[in-house]
Amino acid sequence: MSPWIQIAARSLARNRRRSLFTMLAIAFGFAAVNIFAGFTEYMFVSLRDAFIYAQGNGHLTIFKKDFLTEGQIDPKNYLLTETDLATIKAVCQADPRTLTVTPKLFISGMISNGKTSTIAIAAGVVPSDIAAINKRATGTIGRAKLFTGQPLDDKEGFGVGVGTALARKLKLDLGSDAVIMSPTVDGQMNALDIKILQTFDAPVEALNDKLMIIPLSLAQNLYDTKGADRVCVLLNDKDQTDIMRDELTSTLAAKGIPVEIKTWYEISDMYERTKKMFDIIFLFLFIIVMGIVVMSVVNTVGMSVMERIQEIGTLRALGVKRRGILKLFALESGLLGAAGCLAGVILTLISWTAIKLAGPSWVPPAISRRVPLEVYLVPRYLIISFACLILLSILAAVFPARKAACSNIVESLGHV
Amino acid sequence: MALVELKAVRKSYALGETMIDAVRGVDLEINTHEFVAVWGPSGSGKSTLCHLMGIIDRPTSGSVSFHGQDVAGLSDDRQSELRNHSIGFIFQSFNLVPVLTALENVMLPLQVRGEPRELAREKAMARLREANIDSHAHHRPKKLSGGQQQRVAIARALVTDPLLVIADEPTANLDSVTAHRILDLMREVNHTRGTAFVFSTHDQRLLDRVTRQIQLSDGLITEDKIVSA
Repeated sequence: MSPWIQIAARSLARNRRRSLFTMLAIAFGFAAVNIFAGFTEYMFVSLRDAFIYAQGNGHLTIFKKDFLTEGQIDPKNYLLTETDLATIKAVCQADPRTLTVTPKLFISGMISNGKTSTIAIAAGVVPSDIAAINKRATGTIGRAKLFTGQPLDDKEGFGVGVGTALARKLKLDLGSDAVIMSPTVDGQMNALDIKILQTFDAPVEALNDKLMIIPLSLAQNLYDTKGADRVCVLLNDKDQTDIMRDELTSTLAAKGIPVEIKTWYEISDMYERTKKMFDIIFLFLFIIVMGIVVMSVVNTVGMSVMERIQEIGTLRALGVKRRGILKLFALESGLLGAAGCLAGVILTLISWTAIKLAGPSWVPPAISRRVPLEVYLVPRYLIISFACLILLSILAAVFPARKAACSNIVESLGHV
Repeated sequence: MALVELKAVRKSYALGETMIDAVRGVDLEINTHEFVAVWGPSGSGKSTLCHLMGIIDRPTSGSVSFHGQDVAGLSDDRQSELRNHSIGFIFQSFNLVPVLTALENVMLPLQVRGEPRELAREKAMARLREANIDSHAHHRPKKLSGGQQQRVAIARALVTDPLLVIADEPTANLDSVTAHRILDLMREVNHTRGTAFVFSTHDQRLLDRVTRQIQLSDGLITEDKIVSA
């Protein structure tokens, strides 16, 4: 073993209590960062999976070009036609990276219980396709039941789902009949009978008294069209999202269908906003923890330097260079950081296990019902924080050690 | 060529607002094989002179040459290398690294210069045997008596086969019997290897054993005489 490692390790052991407290400060900091990072990872994965799988949006959403800017005013010219839908489906399904391709038609109108009417926004979906996408969800989202009642059916063309607040507002129970009204694509008013098969919590609280899920065929009948306003594509690998977007855009353009394709993270405002918010909170926490660790290590190394000035003078007299003294204290500090991080890994594992055993639950932003609160163990965060803390520990030693290394040898030797 | 040559060396320290001249224009040559005591009352500048000869301090003016090389022109790294290869130090309070065993303390100067561990261990054990302290090789300093610690410090100073050993009051903290044993050991090394020793002392036991006595007073050499030990 190098004499520097021996001196560093034994000097740490010599001041057991001080080293232990500094190590614990690092360990708690490490665990705090990783537990919080594990929680944010759980949040991000849950939000992502809720959008992609639970809400059946897939990884990519294909719109006719300019639909997002002009489509609300002039829907007729910006809907994907039956032929467009068939071509898009064929192109997507020809790619082995595609799992599911499903058209959707969003309409807005009124829903009535016969006595009272209110505004409604309905997503026309192919229930079997959505069920296929839902089944792909794993983890919390995969286990969560997001509606009450029965699933929509491709065959039950008039069975719909309504937001829980909307059901309350119109006093609609499961099995109740109602009427949905909407303008057709040409602006004529149209109305159809519907049956409430399920109630669900809308991903955004403000939409819970407006949102409906209806079969695509019902939406198309109401809108008097065979088309759809978007096609959702589920991929087998989220990392292929951007590549597939580019490839599909050019392939469909070559087939005479100008499209605009949005990725899941571009459409999901909730994901983006929540991620940014938690990233900022994480950054603050990380800076605070790192600050505490740095101050703690500076204090420990500073005290160690003060106590060992004569030893430093002796080492310099024996021929140790200034950078050798720096190396010695950097090593000592690095060892302290490494020991703290190892203790931090243990503390993180204990906390992770405790949370798993306790099984707490909560109501997250994207789901309006109680789900298990989880903390993920994220190896990349463990590795990054390990490396950061050791590096910071070493850097924190530089200032006091540099001062010691550059001090006058005679004065150091005379220091008691 | 002299081993160490000091020409018009002056060393001043700031003490508050006043400057103290610890050494005031000293000319001195130390040759190999010499066994020299620098002596004088407290504050006479003997420790400062030893520090300058040991290249752990720089003169305010004048020049210090080691083996013909002016040390003022050397970088701090080069001076460190010179100390490691050519100069050994023995301190009054032994200055052993407390967390290392006696053997590891003696191995340290060799490891500083990058010698392989096994070779360093072999050489260190040989020096500990010479210093008759090999039985305590695996003891840490706090488990050793003052005399034992000084033997380890001597072994450490000699392990690199230096040309010069600077010893600052090496017998000051030792009883008479131990002091004589330590001096015998250093005298033997001086005889057999030609290692020059320069002691800073006012211990009569030591003055009686040296071959040259340099007396300092108020930073100046007042007497420099060859004596028979």
